[in-house]
Amino acid sequence: MHRRLPIYILVDTSFSMTGEPLKAVQNGLDTLVKALRQDPQALETAYLSVIEFNSKAKQLETLKDLTSFQMPTLEVSGATSMGEALSLLVECIKNEVLVEGRRDWKPMVFLLTDGIPTDNLQKGINELKSIKIGTFVACAAGSGAKIEYLEKITPLVVTLDEANTESISSFFKWVSASISVGSQKVEQGKEIDAFGELPPPPKEINIIDLTKH
Amino acid sequence: MSSNIKTVQTFAGDTISYYDEIIGSGTMKDVYFTTDKKHVVAFYRDPLEQNALERLKMITGAYHKGIFEEKNGNYWNNLFCWPTDIVFDGKLHGVVLPKYHQQYFFEHGSINNDFLAIKNREKEGKWFSSPTNRFSRLDKREWGDWKNYLRIGLLVSRAVRRMHAAGLAHSDLSYKNVLISPSSGNACVIDVDGLVVPDKFYPDVVGTPDFIAPEVVATTHLSKEDEKKVLPSRLTDRHALAVLIYQYLFLRHPLRGKKIHDMDDPERDELLIMGEKALFIEHPLDNSNTTNPSLARPADKFWLDTRKLPYTVAGPYLSKLFKEAFVDGLHHPQKRPTANDWEQALIKTIDLIQPCSNKECLSQWYVFDNSKKPICPFCDTPYKGQLPVINLYSERGEGRFIPDDHRLMIYKNQSIFPWHVDRNITPNERLAPKDSSRVGYCIFHDNHWLFVNEKLTQLFDATEAEEKKKIAIGDTVELKDGLKLLVKYNHSARLLLVQLV
Repeated sequence: MHRRLPIYILVDTSFSMTGEPLKAVQNGLDTLVKALRQDPQALETAYLSVIEFNSKAKQLETLKDLTSFQMPTLEVSGATSMGEALSLLVECIKNEVLVEGRRDWKPMVFLLTDGIPTDNLQKGINELKSIKIGTFVACAAGSGAKIEYLEKITPLVVTLDEANTESISSFFKWVSASISVGSQKVEQGKEIDAFGELPPPPKEINIIDLTKH
Repeated sequence: MSSNIKTVQTFAGDTISYYDEIIGSGTMKDVYFTTDKKHVVAFYRDPLEQNALERLKMITGAYHKGIFEEKNGNYWNNLFCWPTDIVFDGKLHGVVLPKYHQQYFFEHGSINNDFLAIKNREKEGKWFSSPTNRFSRLDKREWGDWKNYLRIGLLVSRAVRRMHAAGLAHSDLSYKNVLISPSSGNACVIDVDGLVVPDKFYPDVVGTPDFIAPEVVATTHLSKEDEKKVLPSRLTDRHALAVLIYQYLFLRHPLRGKKIHDMDDPERDELLIMGEKALFIEHPLDNSNTTNPSLARPADKFWLDTRKLPYTVAGPYLSKLFKEAFVDGLHHPQKRPTANDWEQALIKTIDLIQPCSNKECLSQWYVFDNSKKPICPFCDTPYKGQLPVINLYSERGEGRFIPDDHRLMIYKNQSIFPWHVDRNITPNERLAPKDSSRVGYCIFHDNHWLFVNEKLTQLFDATEAEEKKKIAIGDTVELKDGLKLLVKYNHSARLLLVQLV
């Protein structure tokens, strides 16, 4: 009787992502799912959902195992409702993650943004406190993103110097490796709760280690 | 391959050249192809400690010699991927290993035109150990039948028996460290560089979850110095081996049932399930950890139903060992069956299986349940027609035959081998070439089961004790209920008593 490892990926699809960044995110997600499907461990344990946020936040694909998961098509529009995205994340986790009986592992969450929240971020952060999350990695892509907002959400913040194809694709490769490691770890009866337990990120990704501030 | 070629010196004084392109990465090593295409070089990512280097020297030296250079030592080349030499590139150490045989890479991969894109990737055991992975994701041609999984269990047991006989413990037997090829029925033990020698080389890791013995799991939190801490050893290998065999045959973990020990903390719950509170899901007296198939994924339901498919369908020899491993010996390591016990039981069980007539059956084979109307436990298809079973008796003292507790099921083209006619012969690495080919076979002709004598010079129909009839080479004899065949082979005599079910 197996325990699931829920994975939520939150992507910014506001106007600033138009063009290369959006395409890179779409390809990154594609590659991520393909890579995880070749990992029999991840196939057994990892369950994936994608939430996009622009003027609104929307769950594009509900939590599903990797073979049932259908890759959504991302579309850009409007602003950066990061607060709403967090609220929606909380709602999805409350609906989809089992906390009774053989409860699921605590979810892993990855958030990617190239901008700053245009809504009430604090509201989302407050709601986040009502649920348990295992690993929450927030990624600030390019110079438009401000880490001070992300630092309020999670101590695990990374940055990409530019929101270009190369850095975004290496971010998703690292996310995919992190999920692989995560599904092995949970098989070992452990959960990931620090950067040290994730695979070393490639050179494009800079770690902002808040525990050392 | 267009990558650069590098060369490196080995400890044995050879020069190895390899392509400077990583073909695979393990938890500790990066692997490269050598230019001879027959080997790989696996470099450790981190510098080795003195003790680990000493151990590698023993593994590539004395231990290798002890196993591979003995009489029949060649036999082990198929069962182990054993490092043969050490290299040093000035910074990092590595080992030279034989390349994995082609059968350990997916030929067909997954369903729907390989939608998972796993063709040519390693056949990691995890692919075959859950019903969903095996039957809902892999191409049918990769599945393998039950006979092949019995054979895989047999080969792994044999490899572990050999290591243990040499005083070595593997310490991390798991899906990852045993390559299997269910479609061809072969197995190979890999990653032996972490092996453990009592009081000499200590384990690097506690093992892989799901395979770590309960006493090790229960004491992981203790410090190295604590004398209550239990480390991997041959006794914990025995637990891992039992789990592997059970999981290959039944596609479920023997300790993962419905019982929840900690509602709030999955980590603590896992620790208790596999450790202190470990309880067999098929414990005969305590059903609190039985399975709950109704909660399982569709493809998993059947295999998780221990009432429909109890471990006893594996027949008398394996059932006894599963009970010893998961009931008597789960928390009493000394009571666990040895690798040799598993090997012997699997040899006898392979003789006790019969084909299922249902071509769609997921298992294709099942163990004869000693009943008058055998039914396949995997698909409920009843056996049709007469089923000959040969019971084996050996002569102990002049004219006195006693049962060997060994039976052979007869089906089309079933072969009779020397080990069926001489109890002193065992099919293992010591089998002489002259004893490795069949001495006869069975056919179904005109509604009769016939045995065809190919090589037995001393075969008699001894049904009438007073009137033995010789069956010459090339002759056949009908397998009728009550037929007694007497065979003299080498210096022993065996009686084959035929029973028609």
